[in-house]
Amino acid sequence: MRMEILIAGPAGTGPNFITHILGELLIKKGYYVFYSRDYQSLIRGGHNFNILSFSDEPIYSNNSKIDILVALDEKSIQKHEKKLKEKGILIKGKEKNSYLLGAVAKTLGIEFSYIEENLKQKENFEENIKEAKKGYDSFEKKFEIRALKNKKIEFLNGSKGIAFGAVNSGLEFYYAYPMTPATPVLTELAQMSLENKHLTIELENEIAVVNAGIGSAITGAKVMVGTSGGGFDLMSEGLSLTGIAKVPLVFYLAQRPGPGTGVATYTAQGDLKLALNAGHGEFQRVVLAPGDPIEAQELVAQGFYFSHKFKIPSIIISDKHLGESFYSCSEKPKFIKINSKVKLERYNSYEKDSEGSATEDSRIIKENILRRKSKLKEIEKEAEKFEMFKFFGNKNSKNIVIGWGSTKGAILDAIKGLDIGFIQILYLSPFPKIEEIIKDKNLILVENNSTGQLGDVLREKTGILIEEGNKILRFDGRPFFADELKKEIEGRLR
Amino acid sequence: MKNKSLSTSTIPTWCPGCYNFQILAGVKNALKGKEKNTAIVTGIGCHGKLFDYIALPGINTLHGRVPPTCLGLKIAKPELNVLGFSGDGDAYAEGIAHLIHAARYNSNFKYFVHNNRVFALTVGQPTPVSEKGFKDKTNPKGTKTPPINPIKLMLASGASFVARVFADVKQVEWVTKEALKHKGFAFIEILQPCLIFHPDKGLKEKTYMLEDEEHDKTNLEEAMKKAEEFDYNSINENTKIPLGIFYQTKKPVFEEEIRK
Repeated sequence: MRMEILIAGPAGTGPNFITHILGELLIKKGYYVFYSRDYQSLIRGGHNFNILSFSDEPIYSNNSKIDILVALDEKSIQKHEKKLKEKGILIKGKEKNSYLLGAVAKTLGIEFSYIEENLKQKENFEENIKEAKKGYDSFEKKFEIRALKNKKIEFLNGSKGIAFGAVNSGLEFYYAYPMTPATPVLTELAQMSLENKHLTIELENEIAVVNAGIGSAITGAKVMVGTSGGGFDLMSEGLSLTGIAKVPLVFYLAQRPGPGTGVATYTAQGDLKLALNAGHGEFQRVVLAPGDPIEAQELVAQGFYFSHKFKIPSIIISDKHLGESFYSCSEKPKFIKINSKVKLERYNSYEKDSEGSATEDSRIIKENILRRKSKLKEIEKEAEKFEMFKFFGNKNSKNIVIGWGSTKGAILDAIKGLDIGFIQILYLSPFPKIEEIIKDKNLILVENNSTGQLGDVLREKTGILIEEGNKILRFDGRPFFADELKKEIEGRLR
Repeated sequence: MKNKSLSTSTIPTWCPGCYNFQILAGVKNALKGKEKNTAIVTGIGCHGKLFDYIALPGINTLHGRVPPTCLGLKIAKPELNVLGFSGDGDAYAEGIAHLIHAARYNSNFKYFVHNNRVFALTVGQPTPVSEKGFKDKTNPKGTKTPPINPIKLMLASGASFVARVFADVKQVEWVTKEALKHKGFAFIEILQPCLIFHPDKGLKEKTYMLEDEEHDKTNLEEAMKKAEEFDYNSINENTKIPLGIFYQTKKPVFEEEIRK
């Protein structure tokens, strides 16, 4: 079984409160939950909505058709009523958000004791419980959500994954300038810093952020900087400096639609080639793309590992959909131990000689460049020790979906029951050797951009071309819905 | 007096007689005995070559990015002496936002600006402190904007130590030692004529030391008045340029505050 609940209302009225607690209640009941957030770039008013999906088996995305609409205002009804399935239920009301939480819990048949227990751990619980009870008693039970065997599930979004991964890697300093959708990592790390040793530092702009990050990283400290599109552009001069000066700096790049300011609070995968190519000159980097909060933790650790082992920049590329959606995670992340041999010595933004001083000597310039270039082979060899890609589904199928990053969730849900395999690329640079697996297959590309950037990278790295007709691209700022994606994929199977 | 322990094998490529040699010698003298616990950060321009002539760890970083780099070093290693060096292009053009914020943060690093009032290493274009009407090949009709006054800017931005000296070994050595004694961000501008592109002949003769007068360096208003005596624009027979410490005060230090 699987259900979708859409909770909508003006910003600041509580759709997030209802959604998150409902998610916690369902996890407590033993279900797998996923919810995504659709919100505008404003603080009060406007129109926000979350879609919460839950199931008795693992799920990682939303469907487009909904079973229950919880509407906090009239506009929410107008906007979303048509998404309701034939027997879908509308729960509406201008009452307090805990009232509607009670209403939807009753509709689903969740016992009130679950709500009580949950709210008791939160602020202002007495009033909230009272309101929730009113809502609970005013609605009828329409479903019977029975308790399933309790699994150990953590309810995480990608941003928490990034933050946990960094702290587990021994993060000492996180530098940032606020920018959606990278800010939740800053918030998370700042909150965690109250109980941990690391510091979060906000500076005047992304240029200061990357250069302060470099200043700290050359002492051997574990440092991460975080930003989104335009902020990353500002950092690219510093990124290039880390390339020549051999600075072990980890970059967190949370994508949103661009170019320019783009669409600040929505999602996209348009910055893959930016991450791979940003910065002038030729230098090595590692670019890693997690597809869920567990991978976020693991790949941040691997980013630190590569940065400190090879004295290179690492870029962890995520997006708004991964960063701000909540996933029920039942696996434990596997961490790699990071030993840093970096120490404060003579670093240089110029080509340098054996004393660390600037040089214009042609022989030394060439040697330096060859040394940087040859690192690629070492990095590639080291990367093979890690899971550079994952294969899901039928290994023998002649159909293979290829994707990266946050589309993983929708793809996994979409391919259920289909004769197909799915390759999720985790290492974008260095790129995994997948030629043998994908040659002669019917390749279907799924990406949240308009040009199919992974398709281009695949062509560059493997020589294999994905047909234009086999590129399923969404670029309206919204993530894929699993049910819609399934139809798109089905139409391309051979 | 040469401090050989800080020397590298690089042969300096500054022009013969360049005032940068005076600055280099002054800084090296002041760092005697501090070699083990000091890092330097330099920017891009003639001043930046200083990195190659002082055998200390640190980074010869990007143009304009010296202050945040110093900040990052101090945040990671508060016990380290960190000295940053910039040119006027570095500090007042490319990186001026960082300069203002450096004064606000009050991190305990020392920031020296080699001010020759010209982009020298790119062969003589005007910087934000070049006089109005400055002519070069890229400005054949002369520049149209007056210079900023960096001393006033730093005082207004809340810098806890604001000084200006001439590029003279003794003055640089003295001010470096004073800056190192100061706990907090120290801004030191060094007037450094460029023999090739901005010679400023006779500039030194127009200077006088605030320390020789009854200047109250704890008084911000007094410091502002002194800062206004020289506008970086017109230098004539009446010009008097005050040097020394304009202002010094105690303020909370960034790398300590963020750990509280």
